[in-house]
Amino acid sequence: MAIKFERVSFQYKGIDNKGYLALSDVNLQIDKEGEFITLIGETGSGKSTLAQHMNALIQPTEGRISLFGLKIDSTTKKKKKIKLNPIRKKVGLVFQFPEYQLFEETVEKDIMFGPKNFGMSTEDAKRKAEEMIEVVGLHKDYLSRSPFNLSGGEKKRVSIAGILAMEPDILILDEPTSGLDPLGRNALLEVFHRIHTTLNKTVIIITHDMNTVYQYAKRVLVMREGVLVYDGDPLKLFSRGNIDKWNLDVPDILSLTRDLETSFNITLSPPPRTRQDLFKALEEALS
Amino acid sequence: MQPMISLEGVSFKYNQSTEALKDVNLTIKKGEWVSILGHNGSGKSTLSKLLVGLLKASEGTIKVDGIVLNEDTVYDIRKKIGIVFQNPDNQFVGVTVRDDIAFGLENLQIERQDMIKRIDTYVKKVDMFDFINKEPSQLSGGQKQRVAIAGILAMETDVIIFDEATSMLDPKGRRMILSYMRELNKEGVTIITITHDMKETIESDRIVILKNGSVLKHGPSNDILNDKETLEKSNLELLLPLELMHHLEQHNIQNERLKKHLWQLSLNG
Repeated sequence: MAIKFERVSFQYKGIDNKGYLALSDVNLQIDKEGEFITLIGETGSGKSTLAQHMNALIQPTEGRISLFGLKIDSTTKKKKKIKLNPIRKKVGLVFQFPEYQLFEETVEKDIMFGPKNFGMSTEDAKRKAEEMIEVVGLHKDYLSRSPFNLSGGEKKRVSIAGILAMEPDILILDEPTSGLDPLGRNALLEVFHRIHTTLNKTVIIITHDMNTVYQYAKRVLVMREGVLVYDGDPLKLFSRGNIDKWNLDVPDILSLTRDLETSFNITLSPPPRTRQDLFKALEEALS
Repeated sequence: MQPMISLEGVSFKYNQSTEALKDVNLTIKKGEWVSILGHNGSGKSTLSKLLVGLLKASEGTIKVDGIVLNEDTVYDIRKKIGIVFQNPDNQFVGVTVRDDIAFGLENLQIERQDMIKRIDTYVKKVDMFDFINKEPSQLSGGQKQRVAIAGILAMETDVIIFDEATSMLDPKGRRMILSYMRELNKEGVTIITITHDMKETIESDRIVILKNGSVLKHGPSNDILNDKETLEKSNLELLLPLELMHHLEQHNIQNERLKKHLWQLSLNG
């Protein structure tokens, strides 16, 4: 297991010294490859705090985490000998609005910054930039452009290429598609899907978009008030009880499928996960 | 009746080469709910910034409630038109929730007694009363966004612009904001929603679609929601039931009951 949480809790300290429990007794295991996970939950439920533990940006106040064999607990910070940098290279974390963090004069330099920072030679970093710009679906011509004249979606892609260039095993993206128009959002989701399938990396997406969860994820984690309340199949997640309990939205495709099945007394199977699947299943059911 | 907002030949350039808005003409009636849609970079947010005087039009005239927007009138106009932005982190100016809302009201020179009353009323309205003395660092994104909305509501403006205000919120937060829009609109407040989410436009009276800085099309929401060609040209998606309806038509699948059903579904969101 690449990531293993054992009874992990995390308490934020406010200035009034009243603690706030952001994570409570979380147990979790994530594989180094082949997983496509979405992490959902209401705002303030602990999603980002959980993600920040996965690359040791913060350490638990209780419990233990193992990140690629490295043990992390509440004493880790004090032990100066423990090097956390290699972990941060293995688990790439793309923050919300990564485009605000672009700063170099060309796209190429921006992508090269991370890997060089982790000790990659200029030559290798350059090669990585050329490779990764294409993985995120942009033409090589973009490398010589200024990052500041790109659209929102393009900037996001460049910052993701920068993280990928560090060759992480696991890629975590915090609300990567918020603010994008539907076409841009779908294109970016396809990029993540491709990273997952062709590079065989584990991808973890933090999102509020239930359509993303339903269409792409193999596994869903649901956080609620610091507690990991669901860890499993997206198909089983959206039962009536869970929707009410955890304030979820029903994905568009699932809600239409359910409605058509009841209203027209048909069965759409296998359960459609994409718009195209739904159309096909309906055609078959009607013929 | 005098329109609430009118734009005549409005253009805006961020620099010499790129024109973010080109010759936009638009009228919004008092009490109307208008959705503004468009691809990333279509000029939606530029338009909203022009309306509240955060940017100055390079050409053309903007009127709010009959007043021509210029340097002399911008502060009067801001009493009439409030805006909620996408990113809650960029909107919090106070040390606590209470301070943050007070800040906007102080700018309007509201009397202290009235101010205290308004803060209480609107913080309760957005369900943040338990957090009234908290600092922004103790709040989540969605909670900060609710505070931003309370701040705008407290100013009791005639118009509220929601500039992608729900795009960073969880489903519950999103539903809550939508219900505020609905309620405010019923009370007679003119609502402008800028969004990519078709579901947010269903209840609006009218949809305006921007493309590359110009108005591509505008009309009653029911017409535009079903205009596949225009939506796709603008990087947007049809609501799922409507897309299915188009798909059935394309494939010559005749089923009137199903079509009717899908149309009803799309209107109910």
